[in-house]
Amino acid sequence: MAAALLEEFGSADVREREESWRYSKTALRALAQNDFLAADGRALPSSNLLESIDWPHTRGRRLVFVNGVHSHAHSDFTAADGIAFERGAEANALNIAGNDQVVHLIYVSVPGAQPVRWDAQLNIRVAAPGARIIEQHTGDVGADVLGSLRVNLEIAERAEARVTMLTDLPDSTSLYRREQVGVAQDGLHASTHALFGGRLQRHDGNIALRGPRSRHAARGVFVVRGRQHIDVHLDVCHEARDTACDVVWRGVADQRARGILRGAITVATGADGADARLQTKNLLLSAHAEIDAQPVLEIYADEVKASHGATVGQLDERALFYLRSRGVPAAVARGLLIAGFCREALADGSDEDLRARLEAALDERLPRIDGVSP
Amino acid sequence: MLKIDNLHVRVAGKEILKGLTLAVNAGEMHAIMGPNGAGKSTLGNVLAGREGYEVTQGTVEYNGRNLLDLEPEQRAAEGMFLAFQYPVEIPGVNNTYFLKAALNAQRKHRGEPELDSMQFLKSVREKLRVLHISDDLMNRAVNAGFSGGEKKRNEIFQMALLEPALAILDETDSGLDIDALKMVADGVNAMRDPRRAFVVITHYQRLLDYIVPDFVHVMVDGRIVESGDKSLALKLEEHGYAWIAGRQVPDQNWAGAA
Repeated sequence: MAAALLEEFGSADVREREESWRYSKTALRALAQNDFLAADGRALPSSNLLESIDWPHTRGRRLVFVNGVHSHAHSDFTAADGIAFERGAEANALNIAGNDQVVHLIYVSVPGAQPVRWDAQLNIRVAAPGARIIEQHTGDVGADVLGSLRVNLEIAERAEARVTMLTDLPDSTSLYRREQVGVAQDGLHASTHALFGGRLQRHDGNIALRGPRSRHAARGVFVVRGRQHIDVHLDVCHEARDTACDVVWRGVADQRARGILRGAITVATGADGADARLQTKNLLLSAHAEIDAQPVLEIYADEVKASHGATVGQLDERALFYLRSRGVPAAVARGLLIAGFCREALADGSDEDLRARLEAALDERLPRIDGVSP
Repeated sequence: MLKIDNLHVRVAGKEILKGLTLAVNAGEMHAIMGPNGAGKSTLGNVLAGREGYEVTQGTVEYNGRNLLDLEPEQRAAEGMFLAFQYPVEIPGVNNTYFLKAALNAQRKHRGEPELDSMQFLKSVREKLRVLHISDDLMNRAVNAGFSGGEKKRNEIFQMALLEPALAILDETDSGLDIDALKMVADGVNAMRDPRRAFVVITHYQRLLDYIVPDFVHVMVDGRIVESGDKSLALKLEEHGYAWIAGRQVPDQNWAGAA
């Protein structure tokens, strides 16, 4: 079963697959101990969960998917000029053609009596500036759920998509999300990721800067504790001239949690004038936590600006002492520093309501992190 | 208020303080001078409770309690304040949030009611004005991107806000231009009070033109080798530290002006 999952999730190339899942093999193997049945797309989410996804700002723009299946009953979506959603047999499709459209996609994992899994695909096309896409993953506690989602996002010439990903999963839910983004000439893809919880989260983000002057700006944070496992693979490819990417990620792991943050940038032949920046910083709060940071930079063009950095460390003792010397109790000081560390990566990119929600999600996740766990 | 007796401290296996004795009473302004490596900053850090400083001998009593038993935050709540020689930059942590958390934690420890946001901001604005610090400092992250002068002024601002009983200023004058130095001195002088004591650690006599000490102590090689009034600082300025080192004055129990 583990081999089957790996086969299914990995690429066709065996060596590439081995490499890509190197740090997550054990977690995947453990997950594969389950005999997954197909998840029920008509399962009923808990009322608490339904309440938590009702954001006043996104009413009329909300698409809810229960175990990967679009749910009319829980969605609140009014079709309008400039934005259209269509269900498909293989994949759903979202078309954004008007300026400044907002859409809130919510993937809800609802457990069954036995371990279940769902697969879904969404194709998004953005052809106008100002599009904001919020993608939220949440779930109810129970037996294991494994969700697998493929997202294909095409951003047309001069179009802009600002994507916010918020995952807040119970320890019984796993998610494998694969994203393929293509950005045409003068297009912008800006993303903010806030990833929390889950048994196993794996995020593959492949960003292709296809047209001249296309840009990718990414901010991301993950926070794991207990035995949670998060594996983030970012792959940005500069395929055209004068393209730019700016990627900033933060990772925090406590207790026996495990994080993997691979950031790869490729500047293809002919993509001169590329400006690529990637920085990841990771924080370990326990001697048993582990984060593997893997920066990769491949440059095949001549005139390129590229900077690249990855660190893994512990809380800054000097900063901790500074706060305590002013009277802030040690546990509070630690919390302030961890939150500050994460906030640095959420500092820009999203609107106020969304930022407040991301920070609230962060605050809710952080107090449980005490830094003194075994 | 503070009684340090025969204090020996080791840092990374090396003895830095070698029998330091000092008494500070409420209302007094003490200056500690001395050459590089004398152990001045070590003294400040030990008093504030920094980790990695091993006390191998001697005692420190603060208001009748053993100071060395207290955690750094307890010392702060009991009225101790250390202005850092190198204030730490903490990106992502908002100044207002941090100071409100600090002040209210101290007040809670002392059994005083916590300040609400309105009361807190009122107090903040008053103190900012005295130190000529602009309001936007409060919306920034702690010391992040501050110039050297801004960091030092921020230390004095925090001291003004937290109103400690014993303030230790570790080379707050270093790196300041003359205008900033005067502002810092004004901030300190405005806080002089019969119930409050200061220990000012400095290399140079210059600061003491603006903050006039009651006592000056000279520290060499981990001990106080000479104590006197403000004229001692002037003598030092004239003769240099070699003059003191050459005099080989035995360590003495300097009892302040009890």
